[in-house]
Amino acid sequence: MKTLKISLILLAFFSLLNNSVFSQQLTGLKIIENVYNRAVGDDMTADLTMTLTNSSNENRVREIKQFSKDFGDLEKKIMFFVSPADVKNTSFMSWSYDEAGKDDDQWIYLPALKKTKRISSDSKSDYFMGSDFTYDDLGDRQPDQDVHKLLREEKLNGEDCYVVESIPKDKDYMYSKTITWIIKDKWIGLKKEFYDEDEELLKILKVNKYEDINGFWIITNTEMKNEQKDHKTIMILKNVKINTGINDDKFTERIMTRGI
Amino acid sequence: MEKILKQTLKYPYWILLVILIISAVFFSKMIENSRMETDLDEYMPQDHPAFVYSDQAEEWFNIKDGIIVAVENKNNIYNEETLNIIIELTKTFQKLPQIEKADVTSLYTADNIIGTEDGMDVKAFYKKTPTSAEDLNELREKVKTNEMVFGRLVSEDETVSVIIAAINDNVFSQEFYEEILTIAKQAETENVKIYVAGRPIVEGTMALLGPADMKKMVPIVLLVIIAVLYLTLRNVQSTILTLLVVLFSTVWAFGLMALLNIPIYAVSTMIPVMLIAIGVADGIHLFSHLQLYINKNPEATKKEAVSDMLAKMWKPVVMTSVTTAVGFISLLTSQVYPIKYFGLFTAFGVMVAMVFSLILIPAGVMIFKLPKPKVKEEKGNDHHFAFKSTIKILKYKSVTIFATIIIVVVSIVGIGKVWINSSFLDKFERDSEIVLTDAFINEHFGGTSTVNLILDSKEKDAFKNPAVLKLVNKMQNDVVDSLHLVGNSFSLTDYINRMNKVMHADNEKFNNIPNDQNLIAQYLLLYEMSGDPENLWKVVDYNYNKLNVNFQLKSDNSKTINAAIAEIEKFQDDFKKLGIEMKYAGSGYKGLVFTDLILEGQIMSLVLSLIIVILLLGMMFKNIWIGVIGSVPIIITAIIGFGVMGWADIALNTTTALLSSIAIGIGIDYAVHFIEQYKINSQSGDKLLTAQKTMAHSGRAILFNAVVVIAGFMVLLFSVFPPNRELGALVSLNMFISFIGTITIMLILLNKTNIYFKNKKEK
Repeated sequence: MKTLKISLILLAFFSLLNNSVFSQQLTGLKIIENVYNRAVGDDMTADLTMTLTNSSNENRVREIKQFSKDFGDLEKKIMFFVSPADVKNTSFMSWSYDEAGKDDDQWIYLPALKKTKRISSDSKSDYFMGSDFTYDDLGDRQPDQDVHKLLREEKLNGEDCYVVESIPKDKDYMYSKTITWIIKDKWIGLKKEFYDEDEELLKILKVNKYEDINGFWIITNTEMKNEQKDHKTIMILKNVKINTGINDDKFTERIMTRGI
Repeated sequence: MEKILKQTLKYPYWILLVILIISAVFFSKMIENSRMETDLDEYMPQDHPAFVYSDQAEEWFNIKDGIIVAVENKNNIYNEETLNIIIELTKTFQKLPQIEKADVTSLYTADNIIGTEDGMDVKAFYKKTPTSAEDLNELREKVKTNEMVFGRLVSEDETVSVIIAAINDNVFSQEFYEEILTIAKQAETENVKIYVAGRPIVEGTMALLGPADMKKMVPIVLLVIIAVLYLTLRNVQSTILTLLVVLFSTVWAFGLMALLNIPIYAVSTMIPVMLIAIGVADGIHLFSHLQLYINKNPEATKKEAVSDMLAKMWKPVVMTSVTTAVGFISLLTSQVYPIKYFGLFTAFGVMVAMVFSLILIPAGVMIFKLPKPKVKEEKGNDHHFAFKSTIKILKYKSVTIFATIIIVVVSIVGIGKVWINSSFLDKFERDSEIVLTDAFINEHFGGTSTVNLILDSKEKDAFKNPAVLKLVNKMQNDVVDSLHLVGNSFSLTDYINRMNKVMHADNEKFNNIPNDQNLIAQYLLLYEMSGDPENLWKVVDYNYNKLNVNFQLKSDNSKTINAAIAEIEKFQDDFKKLGIEMKYAGSGYKGLVFTDLILEGQIMSLVLSLIIVILLLGMMFKNIWIGVIGSVPIIITAIIGFGVMGWADIALNTTTALLSSIAIGIGIDYAVHFIEQYKINSQSGDKLLTAQKTMAHSGRAILFNAVVVIAGFMVLLFSVFPPNRELGALVSLNMFISFIGTITIMLILLNKTNIYFKNKKEK
């Protein structure tokens, strides 16, 4: 009788222990999946202002009009430069595929050359337009590419957050790990730390503002700072419109040459 | 003064004890607190406009000194083994804490901008080493057709590839230097040889080799000085006491530096050189006087002998020391801190040596015993020789004056040939490994030395303007074509040329700057999107109003750098019309400016101290003409010293420039002792006898002094480090000229001008 009782208690204890360990792992992944799957609408139109600041506090500002649309397993995006004047109407189009291992297709149209050129870059670790964001930082990284672990829960900027550590399965990935602060029930990453190959802090991403637009949480002001190079990029989205029903043929080489 | 000094004679043991204790305190301070300043940037005046600008530019463009590692395979580099070594070395350097990851450039890290059928691609040349012959050949073609890399990272004969690792500021140390060499050595194989060069390596080797060689040579120098000192003084305790004066004054000078937390700079190592050359003089003159007194009065007691020595000699000792010290203090006018400190602490050392000479030497003599009187014949011979040579000198005075004038004129012509050299490499033997490595890399690539031309415009986007970029391009080509010592150049234009070409289907016709500013802006945007924008910030600044143009030179010597700058400056007017200013940056250029500054300061202080010396001597002897006559040996020594440097092709650098200070220090000593003695002897009223007696007394001491120091510094001629050999030769030369100048031309001038005899004759 006594042994049964002990066994029961032990069993309960182990299952609890087991469960908590298990659920924690599940929770880490689950949280990231929730962020990944957060609905952001099917298409978006916005004015993007990108401000690059170097270590001497010099700024370069680029204004871009951007359109993007989700085609299921394919996301298409087209951007037109508004300023500076010397690159006005330069346009950039990218098609990113969900399929693992498939590289993005990218095109650029240079009005001064009157030609559309395909560009390709070696990897997703390249920086986007001289900013501190890599293509990968901007795109959504698929949750199953990393091992996630819920570290703790804490308040950040007055929001209750999960703190999740993500370690890439691919050891050659540009980051050794990232730590993300995710707002509970909104599933918005509020802050993210990126660690380099030597496990030293490389960059910090901060979300300065997010807005409810047409019932979707849209991040409209983010700041990425490279701590090692003391270089930072602020991206601000204005005039954001969601689900306006952008035409599918907006995302073609012909449209690129037409300008805004 | 004399009374105070005589009072001290009563307490010789106390004096010895006090001096010993203070010396011990200074010595322990020196041991615990001294540090060597090896960072050359610390030597430069931080507020000088050229340095301020250069430092800024270095920050804007991340200009750093680079270690150049050359990987050589005699067949060619396109094989697995060599390519793997390039990867391994690149990765190893990237992991070193002294090197930023992005600052290592090699074939492995370089961007290859290529045209594709439908666009442009920025890719690595290779990420994993190709194994098949086909892939290796493809890589070879890629390199060969990219002029941004071919001839820069891979030699045109394809047997050598370089890895350039720019190192952070203030991180170079002996350990780091050895680590680099070990890494290189370990990577070598039977087929692959590895060479290490670049400014940090040259600086590092020099910083190690110079002092190491000195450490070996200095004890020998001291031994020779001791030996010769003994031979001239013929007395153990006199030798020891004279030497103690020099040693203690050096310890006090360095001890005070340590106490004040002033680091030891490379030029500070010249302080002992000065103190040895100058410090032994007082001792020699004192003992020489003592010996002569005892020879005359063999029965004199210790106290009588020492009292006489002090009575007759304290004045010249004080005069020489004060004048010499003031001469060195004039170095405070220099803009370069290490030189200021050098002047200040040498002056301090000279004053300390004076106090020791007047206190320690008498105390020592009181404690030990007097030198024995010398045998008569010897004394007679001595006098005989001095007397005879005096007659000869005075007899052939016109010959002497004529010869002096000729030598001085020839020297002045030689001074015209003197050139300033801030090169580090020129300090090594021509067949030393470091020079050969440098030559090897220069033979295969643009050059191991860099001059950074900074083009500065007030206008934003100035360097997107086609007219400006075309001019930059033309300048780059002109400078490289006209000077074979300029191997190549690199700037933003190379990116634009390359992109314009690949965007036009690799058509060579488009390997130039396009006419449309918007197109240039769009190329740059394109590069930022597909390449590594960090690379751009090494050649242009954020707002495109500053440009960094790199010129690779095959030599770091000042002639080469100046020639390149002269060629570049031809474009100054053209750039000015476009509102663009030309400035320079980088350590090579800073070295050049720095050496100029040192020289300018040195010449200024030489002139200044000469004026001070003339005035001081004039005041001390209450006759300004004595001041002028007394400065003659100094002037002659300085002129001939520089003249010999010009004729012997010894370049002026931080060390050799300082040697003119020796001319002052020594010249004053000789002149003052000689004139003082001449004045004392002139009481006899006999001009010839006065000259003869002075020669027998002061002339003798001066000769001893010169012989001792010359013998000591001649030892350095056997040094393995060329700058130390130059030092030995030039110190010896200076001593010799000062000596000859004093006993010939100065004696003749004293004799001719009838100073000290005029009044007597009238009476």
